[in-house]
Amino acid sequence: MTQIALLAWRPFLEPISVHEHWWVFLAPLALGISIVWKAVRLGTLEHYWRQVAMMTVQIIVGMVVLAAFSYVFVEVYVRFIADRAG
Amino acid sequence: MPTDPEHANPPYARAHEPFQPVATVLAVILPGAGHAYLGHTRRAIYIAFGVLGLYLSGLLIGGIDVVDREEDFVWFLGQALVGPIAFGTDYVHQTYFKGIDPRDSKRRSAKPDEMRVMEKGLPMLRPRGTGQGPLPPPLLIRALGRDNELGTLFSTIAGMMNLICIIDASFHRRASGTGGGPGSGTPGARAGAGGGAGGGVGGGVGGGGA
Repeated sequence: MTQIALLAWRPFLEPISVHEHWWVFLAPLALGISIVWKAVRLGTLEHYWRQVAMMTVQIIVGMVVLAAFSYVFVEVYVRFIADRAG
Repeated sequence: MPTDPEHANPPYARAHEPFQPVATVLAVILPGAGHAYLGHTRRAIYIAFGVLGLYLSGLLIGGIDVVDREEDFVWFLGQALVGPIAFGTDYVHQTYFKGIDPRDSKRRSAKPDEMRVMEKGLPMLRPRGTGQGPLPPPLLIRALGRDNELGTLFSTIAGMMNLICIIDASFHRRASGTGGGPGSGTPGARAGAGGGAGGGVGGGVGGGGA
């Protein structure tokens, strides 16, 4: 989103243009999920924010690993079996 | 036996907790209200912050268009779990931002080259004219592509997370002390504190009441 577009942005009425940087928003999504999940699941809230941070990192790392696996599967394995078949 | 207090009490101890109808209703009405009613104030604040934060983030990313009972009904089923706030958002969207298509009399969002005009008390969709002067900005800009996906995802996950909180509040005992402190955690932890050392399933059955 350019600076001028940001100045003209009307919150809740116009979407933010996130087409190029959509992946950045996966971090706050993981954080929000962790905040709620840990508030419900933890026995005590003594180390609440540390647990939230750990879970957020776990979700992000998990998504990155899944993305890497999917990339390798599609770009390497599927091409490999496609070459063998035909 | 795990030594970490955060994992010492298994979630299946939850099955022995009494049902809390008032907390359930409050949790449905406002995220975190059920836990606040039961005395778990800190948990309630975290739940409200998390659920409403996710929901409002979704609205900020994709605009009010991401909550649409008519055109995105399946996603609205998830968003509705946030509670009356989601229904209110949808009401505002349907009532104040959508117009009636003159061709088939159906209510829908305006396209970029259309505007909403009140005619005989009805919001009609008309082409945006090429009259003198600059055209006014459209009332609402629809989210497309990633904007729509992310906004919808945030607000729907907010609803699904709130469902977990509603279920948790439904089978939670009232906190004996201040919210969020020791003994006000999972049902097994609190019941264990009331029924002596141990906690877990056995402590949950024999644990002290509210």
